[in-house]
Amino acid sequence: MRKSRRRGDTSTLTFKLWDFTGTAMLNLFMFLFLVAYLSPLPFMVIASLTPQVQFLDANAPILPSERVKLNYHGKDLIVYRVPTDDGEKHWALYKPGRQSSQFIDPANPEGEPIVWNGQWRRLKAVYQFKPTLENFKDFLGITKLPLLLKNTILVALISEIGVLCSSIAVAYGFSRFRIPGVKYIFFVLIATIMIPSNITLVPTYYLFSGHMLNWIGTWLPLIVPHFFGSAILIFLLRQNFKSIPRDLDEAAMLDGAGPLRILVSVILPQSVPVVTTVALLHFFYIWNETRMSSLYLGISPNLQMISFGIQRSQTFFFTPEVLMVGALVVMIIPVVVLLISQRFFMQDMIVTQIEK
Amino acid sequence: MDVAKQSGVLIKSKPVRSSRLRQEARTGLLFLSPWLIGFVLLKALPILAALIFSVTDFQMLTPEKTQFIGLENYAHFFKDAIAGASLFGSLGYFLLTVPLEMIVALALAAIFTSARLKNKRISRTLIFMTSIIPSTSIFFIFVGSLQYADRLFFTPLNLPPIQGFGLLLPFMALWSIGPGFLIIYSAMESVPDEVYEAARVDGAGPFARFIFITLPMISPAIFFTLVVNLTGAFGGAVLLDRGYILSFSLSPMESYINDVMFTQSDLGYASALAWITFGVMMTITVILFRSARNWVYFPEEDENAEI
Repeated sequence: MRKSRRRGDTSTLTFKLWDFTGTAMLNLFMFLFLVAYLSPLPFMVIASLTPQVQFLDANAPILPSERVKLNYHGKDLIVYRVPTDDGEKHWALYKPGRQSSQFIDPANPEGEPIVWNGQWRRLKAVYQFKPTLENFKDFLGITKLPLLLKNTILVALISEIGVLCSSIAVAYGFSRFRIPGVKYIFFVLIATIMIPSNITLVPTYYLFSGHMLNWIGTWLPLIVPHFFGSAILIFLLRQNFKSIPRDLDEAAMLDGAGPLRILVSVILPQSVPVVTTVALLHFFYIWNETRMSSLYLGISPNLQMISFGIQRSQTFFFTPEVLMVGALVVMIIPVVVLLISQRFFMQDMIVTQIEK
Repeated sequence: MDVAKQSGVLIKSKPVRSSRLRQEARTGLLFLSPWLIGFVLLKALPILAALIFSVTDFQMLTPEKTQFIGLENYAHFFKDAIAGASLFGSLGYFLLTVPLEMIVALALAAIFTSARLKNKRISRTLIFMTSIIPSTSIFFIFVGSLQYADRLFFTPLNLPPIQGFGLLLPFMALWSIGPGFLIIYSAMESVPDEVYEAARVDGAGPFARFIFITLPMISPAIFFTLVVNLTGAFGGAVLLDRGYILSFSLSPMESYINDVMFTQSDLGYASALAWITFGVMMTITVILFRSARNWVYFPEEDENAEI
């Protein structure tokens, strides 16, 4: 399955056939894999459009639908599938009874009620396809979505500025300057990626708590740490900066440009894809963030961000359809952002030094 | 190669006055300073502080009554069945999900390097997409699609319904392969074509080429992915915050530490537990690094050699 570069010797028909079959099989396999891999997503959309009562009926269809009803003298009657001697009929239940019930034939609503012997509870209702937006209305009633969105975007923007400025500066420092022992400093940077968060959790929480800084219930614990740069983002940026030829820096240096000037006008213009990737990674990180929010924003509902806010409302209002709406709403924006930015995203995520 | 060129430049510019070198080092350190300060304030000092907390009976509400109690917290760990179970749970989570993630990511990346595959960009985005879905959503997507799977396949076929959340972990693992997949795929793409051509001339088939060329050449990427996954399994947010679902974490050890910290507000014991986890994780990492010498291929003995 490795790179096939046999295009040169496609002289015989047999080989062409094999080549075509191989290509078709490979693409079919990838297609089937993606269908299986993403199959839970359509179910989520279906569930969020499904009326709540439908989940109570085990015989209800999969797609969002509602029961067919007959308006009979100002009353809504539910239409059932009634087995009769002449085959199955769709009749509306008029007077339910224990042993026999009266039905109205929708084709002939003015006729006499038909008496049918049997237990009406065993009958299956007739459904017609009809998606509902009720769940979305319920969801918007439960959560303060505009507030959560506003908070998330504010925190993401502020911390994005901090994390980008400092990570770019640090990555530039690592990639372009001869500093004694920089190899060891870089090793420490890589090591910090592997430090589990719970080892620093207790002292950091104590630092931010009322005993010292009193930052609990503010955004500061979520924003300020990002202004010191993020190790993994520095790592990705540095890999890319190092692959930019130094000739350009040196030319700029001869023209009298200082280090900051070189960074802004030589390095950054050539690093648009990687900077976009890093910015997006940070945005996704903030969007997904629930760990820090649960520690520091649990007591202040007006400052909460989207993932944590929706997660909290989900624990209070536990109905499956509304939960599905929440799941859909919370994932839709990162997914759309990723799809829009796919041209840039993760183009240069090379962690080795093997260059082509 | 670029690296060779870069070090060439370095060697050529070496005979400069030492004061200029010192100036360069100073400017460089200035650029590094945001991270250096952050490292000291938010990593090094808290880790040390946690070590100090772990030998005291530090309580969140009464910090002034704190006393030195020696290794009592660590001794308590060995009597604490829940803590032991949580630690083994985290280890089990690592052993269960990480191989699955690695193998699937590797297989997908190998398929992706084939020139025959069409629409690579959108497939790549779709594979990565599941990794940015918030964990808040994943749980409900999983539970919801289980219900539908029951109704569509299991009930009509008279199979028993799927019980419990045993499948949640593999499901989460498969939906988190995005970063690892992209890292491995980029590494595979950057293996020089000449190496494959040479192997082909020597008569190596596709399978042999994969085992003897691709795998050794991308071993740094595999190693990096492995370490990132290890951190995730023990409760860290490396690239994306995964793990917290409805206030309990997927990493059992992490949720137990949170419980000790906030429910029992015993910061001393929580710190000791964190240090024990840290120790276990560092042991695994050191073993991985030791073994890395045997299986990870480091391309250049460069001054800034990777990882």
